[in-house]
Amino acid sequence: MAKKKNTITLMKGEREFHYAALVIMTLMMLFCIVPLILMVTVSFSSEQSLVYGYRFIPDEWSLDAYAFMWAKRATIFRAYGLTILVTVIGTAISLVMTSMFAYPLSRKDFKPRNVIAFILFFTMLFNGGMTASYMVWTRLFHIKDKIWAYLLPGSLMNGMNVMLVRNYFNANIPYSIIEAARLDGAKDWTIYSKIMVPLSKPIMTTIGLFSALGYWNNWTAGIYYVNNPKLYTIQVYLKKLMDSIQFLKTTDLQSEATLLASRNLPTESARMAIAIIALIPVLIVYPFIQKELIKGMVVGGVKG
Amino acid sequence: MSDIKKTRSSEFDDVLKEQRKLQRKEKFKNDFPLYMMMLPGILYLIANNYLPMFGILLAFKRINYAVGILKSPWVGLDNFEYLFKTKDAFIMIRNTLAYNAVWIVMDLAIAVFIALCMNEIAQRKIAKIIQPIICFPSMVSAVILSFLVYAFLSHSYGYLNTRFFADNPVQWYTTARYWPLLLTIVHIWQGAGQSSVIYMASIGGIDKGLYESARIDGATKFEQIRYITLPLLKPMITMMLLLSIGRIFNSDFGLFYQVTLNNGMLYETTQTIDTFVYRALMQSNNVGQSSAASVFQAVIGFILVLLSNMLVRKINPENSLF
Repeated sequence: MAKKKNTITLMKGEREFHYAALVIMTLMMLFCIVPLILMVTVSFSSEQSLVYGYRFIPDEWSLDAYAFMWAKRATIFRAYGLTILVTVIGTAISLVMTSMFAYPLSRKDFKPRNVIAFILFFTMLFNGGMTASYMVWTRLFHIKDKIWAYLLPGSLMNGMNVMLVRNYFNANIPYSIIEAARLDGAKDWTIYSKIMVPLSKPIMTTIGLFSALGYWNNWTAGIYYVNNPKLYTIQVYLKKLMDSIQFLKTTDLQSEATLLASRNLPTESARMAIAIIALIPVLIVYPFIQKELIKGMVVGGVKG
Repeated sequence: MSDIKKTRSSEFDDVLKEQRKLQRKEKFKNDFPLYMMMLPGILYLIANNYLPMFGILLAFKRINYAVGILKSPWVGLDNFEYLFKTKDAFIMIRNTLAYNAVWIVMDLAIAVFIALCMNEIAQRKIAKIIQPIICFPSMVSAVILSFLVYAFLSHSYGYLNTRFFADNPVQWYTTARYWPLLLTIVHIWQGAGQSSVIYMASIGGIDKGLYESARIDGATKFEQIRYITLPLLKPMITMMLLLSIGRIFNSDFGLFYQVTLNNGMLYETTQTIDTFVYRALMQSNNVGQSSAASVFQAVIGFILVLLSNMLVRKINPENSLF
């Protein structure tokens, strides 16, 4: 009854307002999904039907693209495996490094913490630029064509994440717990690993997810630092694939299909299929982590 | 008498000093694990952040790999002079600033609009489904994004050409004047959902009682938005604006480089400082101009970040970086 009364008291125009909002957001949602759907259906189209253009509903369904991918599995799975490896190692190191850096900064009795916080903070304001960074990593540390190229430049630890973790430590773990542990004879390593880390799972999850996403999607490291095809991650592999197709097109006047066949390059549909398998891990994980990610966007957005 | 006093006090001083020294030693010993924990991070900051800052000096040298970077001759501001004499410099700075200027305002309007709409949806369950979906595009890498765009724009098979322009196919990837619009659409696709999240969070935090009393007074929805929601969002809007102005010399490298498929014929509308830095360094092997452009960007960016943060601090100290 109360509910009914509520709807009656809806003011004039309010219901229309609700529906207008719903329609607009549904359109927005479609706008976001549609390109992804096109990519999926193209990957399931037969090569012959694609000659007439990409369609949302293919004229002829086919698994050829995935068969091609299977035939090329040596290259593709290698790139895929490397991407997983880089993501796992990178995220793990990044989490440990970030939290170990944040813990002393959160300790009010640790004297040099202000100086170190400033050293960290200054990196958020100023950087030497991409060229200088490139020179340091290639000329001084020689990471070109090594797996380090994906792990080290730029992505291992940043001021933002350290600040987030430190703030979490400060806000959520009372100093009295640390003091009590100390009285019981716990050393700093124990406090860090047995108290701080287990008690800060939410923030660790959030920055871990962003870091993993960053590593999975990282392709710029590949174009700056990697030339060896054996060290391509899936993103770099896709990027180089697109490059070679664009290059062939400008130098060769054959039709695209014969061109691709003659060079043994993936066909139109196969290319989309590879892009999809590169996106699939993100797609699978996203529904489970979207809440954390969106929470992270709010926190990161304000201070980002 | 005074002599004795002096020796005494100096003795006392010595003891005190000794004690302090011991205390400091003890303190350091106690804090040693903390230093050890920070060591990896410190080393990383040195390698990743501080050494490149010294790398800025490269912009004032003519790099000659044959003699080594350290022995390369100093050339003062030559690199900058060469850079700013070229037409490239004008184009990339114009593009970077123009895209940012338009997008900062547009992004803000769209983000607030989406947040308002999401808040108006009465069916909360549907809203809970829509939100993650419109945020998803921000998870897609620039490379995969370029494949998505290619599916629409490819000359011979692309959806647009075969569906709508079959008689007269458009050369999307070689015609510069289409790209301001195309990039804007792609930019909205990728970023709109994500940037609205923060405003949704702020709207969610507004006291519902305000709306209730406004309704009792007979305020329409538009009036509620105009006189309650927007004024309450204003601090957040101002802050986000200032923060994005601090980044106005930066651009999304993936969008301008990869989504355009690195096509030289599009430079007029797609070259930004970031793409120039990459191209000069990796493609035309012009280290001098690349580092000049990258230092220019870093220094101006630094000044702007400082300025915008000072303003943010005046408005809302909680949200400023310092």
